[in-house]
Amino acid sequence: MAGQERRTIDLEEGWAFMQKGITKLKNILEGKPEPQFSSEDYMMLYTTIYNMCTQKPPHDYSQQLYDKYRESFEEYITSMVLPSLREKHDEFMLRELVQRWSNHKVMVRWLSRFFHYLDRYFISRRSLTPLKEVGLTCFRELIYQEIKGQVKDAVIALIDKEREGEQIDRALLKNVLDIFVEIGLGQMDCYENDFEDFLLKDTTEYYSVKAQSWILEDSCPDYMIKAEECLKREKERVGHYLHISSEQKLLEKVQNELLAQYATPLLEKEHSGCSALLRDDKVEDLSRMYRLFSKITRGLEPISNMFKTHVTNEGTALVKQAEDSASSKKPEKKDMVGMQEQVFVWKIIELHDKYVAYVTDCFQGHTLFHKALKEAFEVFCNKGVSGSSSAELLATFCDNILKKGCSEKLSDEAIEDALEKVVRLLAYISDKDLFAEFYRKKLARRLLFDKSANDEHERSILTKLKQQCGGQFTSKMEGMVTDLTVARDHQTKFEEFVAGHPELNPGIDLAVTVLTTGFWPSYKTFDINLPAEMVKCVEVFKEFYQTRTKHRKLTWIYSLGTCNINAKFDAKPIELIVTTYQAALLLLFNGVDRLSYSEIVTQLNLSDDDVVRLLHSLSCAKYKILNKEPANRSISPNDVFEFNSKFTDRMRRIKIPLPPVDEKKKVVEDVDKDRRYAIDASIVRIMKSRKVMGHQQLVAECVEQLSRMFKPDFKAIKKRIEDLITRDYLERDKDNANMYKYLA
Amino acid sequence: MYKLGRGNRDKVQQFMTITGASEKVALQALKASDWHLEGAFDFFYSQPQISAVNTRHLEDIFNRYKEPDADMIMVEGISQLCNDLQVDPQDIVMLVISWHMKAATMCEFTRQEFIGGLQSIGVDSIEKFRAKLPSLRAEIKDDNKFREIYNFAFTWAREKGQKSLSLETAIGMWQLLFAERNWPLLDHWCQFLQVRHNKAISRDTWAQLLEFVKSIDPQLSNYDDEGAWPYLIDEFVEYLTENGLVQRTK
Repeated sequence: MAGQERRTIDLEEGWAFMQKGITKLKNILEGKPEPQFSSEDYMMLYTTIYNMCTQKPPHDYSQQLYDKYRESFEEYITSMVLPSLREKHDEFMLRELVQRWSNHKVMVRWLSRFFHYLDRYFISRRSLTPLKEVGLTCFRELIYQEIKGQVKDAVIALIDKEREGEQIDRALLKNVLDIFVEIGLGQMDCYENDFEDFLLKDTTEYYSVKAQSWILEDSCPDYMIKAEECLKREKERVGHYLHISSEQKLLEKVQNELLAQYATPLLEKEHSGCSALLRDDKVEDLSRMYRLFSKITRGLEPISNMFKTHVTNEGTALVKQAEDSASSKKPEKKDMVGMQEQVFVWKIIELHDKYVAYVTDCFQGHTLFHKALKEAFEVFCNKGVSGSSSAELLATFCDNILKKGCSEKLSDEAIEDALEKVVRLLAYISDKDLFAEFYRKKLARRLLFDKSANDEHERSILTKLKQQCGGQFTSKMEGMVTDLTVARDHQTKFEEFVAGHPELNPGIDLAVTVLTTGFWPSYKTFDINLPAEMVKCVEVFKEFYQTRTKHRKLTWIYSLGTCNINAKFDAKPIELIVTTYQAALLLLFNGVDRLSYSEIVTQLNLSDDDVVRLLHSLSCAKYKILNKEPANRSISPNDVFEFNSKFTDRMRRIKIPLPPVDEKKKVVEDVDKDRRYAIDASIVRIMKSRKVMGHQQLVAECVEQLSRMFKPDFKAIKKRIEDLITRDYLERDKDNANMYKYLA
Repeated sequence: MYKLGRGNRDKVQQFMTITGASEKVALQALKASDWHLEGAFDFFYSQPQISAVNTRHLEDIFNRYKEPDADMIMVEGISQLCNDLQVDPQDIVMLVISWHMKAATMCEFTRQEFIGGLQSIGVDSIEKFRAKLPSLRAEIKDDNKFREIYNFAFTWAREKGQKSLSLETAIGMWQLLFAERNWPLLDHWCQFLQVRHNKAISRDTWAQLLEFVKSIDPQLSNYDDEGAWPYLIDEFVEYLTENGLVQRTK
């Protein structure tokens, strides 16, 4: 054709040719016998369009052809497609639709190729709708718009059938739903508005009805099993034939209907609700409950609250149990923390283990449940049993485990484990400072009287405490342990010193433990009149200590000493293990046979309380080393005492215990005093940086600062604030009594 | 005594030349009128006694009551003074007088306090003083003056060298002061202190009690337990409700 003038094709002629091609295509689509398009056919059709569009005006038929293109679809759809769809219903209609849609897509593909030249110049130049889109739009306008309602109803009916357990053709649904997506030409609004909204509504109704009957018929675990199964199915459903974007929305509806709507009646079902599951340790059901409700907004809150209540009740029951058994105990033993309390702490540990496992396993370590557990334990862990605070109980518990000859035979691992757990319980105790004080008292006894069973355990628990409560908490305790190590070293040096200076040898074996004042609990010191033998010992040690250091002052605490003395009784000599005080008293009888109470008091220079205690232990208790006149069980100022030379025992060595003074009151007082300082310091710290501050805010910040050690009482803080005002650290704002100002 | 700017110093000079008053009086008047000369004159002339007081007379009065061997008026002098004024020493007006004198301690007036006090009251004879009593007594009714007198009473009544006020004295002072105010909880308060507290009263508690009396209604309906009220007042409120002395309405 090159160089040759082309013949002009007029519209009728050209279109007649195109019409033939289109009819052929339709026939193929309708399944009528028709040979396939050859590439020559295709070339011819394309060329015709090309020619008709490239002729000089007025013979450029681009616009006409563009219109005809659309009309071809419209004609085909109204004459063939719609009638065939209209006569079918339900599933058959769906199948027909799927078929027609795929045909339509073929038709669009072919026709758009024939008319391709339009796309390249005419359409792009005029910004018209491209051919492919025109084709698809025809389907949407003429077919989809007409039948979308029916289609949606049919699909939803099938889905409901499947929910009821029937088999359905999932592939068909998948294809139908794909139409909803594809017809949107990249937008999801057809799928969402014409189908999904209705599906969600239907789902809501469907499960609302289900839930209404299940909540009445089923137990809580059964209901949850059903709900979980439903959710699983719906999720699978999305995988099988729904669009992935529906998953979240669909599941939310189901969760809302089955769980959120009925959360309260479900969780509070009388014999099978959350409390019952906790009571009966239904771990699996509880895990399921967690899984289900974790997906609902604020769904876990009621569960964690019930969990908290449950644990609180269990713990409070333990406290009550311990309280009961303590009150049924013999009155004279009431003051001592005994076996019952030990058992109580074990039970609390057990309870803790159990519910920690619940939190981590059933409730997947969710913070809400950690918090619930913490709050529950804080409630009953701070109650205390029969006058002993829980801080004391825990300290005693540790003491019992760590001291020699502890009643429970535990392996090293078991001890480690128990210590670990006690330390964890300590986290719930608000009076950590009280624990520290009691612990220090007990630790001091263990260390000084060589009662500690194992150095490693001692250090290990201190490490644990340090980790949990900070270095300040344990620094004194660590100092105590170190003191003792140093003291052992000192002792060898002292023995060498004595060996090196035979002229100084006091004739008595002496062991002295030098302690650092600040680390240890404060002990009362008395100027007891020591027997001459002991005075000599003290002098020798002082001399030795002088050689070690010049800058330290020794204070002797005789009340903590022990002595081994040989007593020559008529039957046989017996070695008596007594305290230094007891020994000093007994040695008085080396010189005379009889002594009156008042003579003893003056010679010893001790308080009446102490002397009474000493005499009681030596003359009224198990071993009567002294005879008392009159011979009764209490000491009075008119008594007279005499060495009991008739005394004997089957043992060669006996220990005469001196009952310890009850130190509880002193510990509590000491802690109270320390707290006052701590509160003062905290208030001053805060005010120093803030200068001016409101009352409530100051109290809140003070509580916050101190809560690591103890929970200060509001009243106590108030008192300290007033005290600081009196001491001119603070003043009230002139105009607002609720504001404090820091006075530098 | 005061550091004055040049402008203010000029004003003082001017004031003194015009009125013939002492520097102290000038300062007082100028300060009272916020350093406006006109205002100061008004102030000065509305209180004519200020200038009229003759210091010589005042010295005489002081000498009449002072201890023979000390430059002070003590218990005896005061009872003599009360006698001459024809008032009971327990009369609250004596507190007001002490307040005017800026007396540091109860039952004691130094020369300076006494003479300064009489000057500020504006009397130079016992007769004038006695005539002045009703108006002095009326000062209690003034809220601001009452507050000053109330707070003055704490420092005045406490023992020398003590930071706080002994309970007995405090109760006495409260009874004296609040009798004027008709505080309905006064008896409960005094009883509560004796039963529950039995310790000295800090300045803060003293000052805050007045706020309590003034701002909290007797049904305690506007009492904030979380507020910064002193501990003792919290306890008092607790005591009142516990013992059913007040039915708290919230």
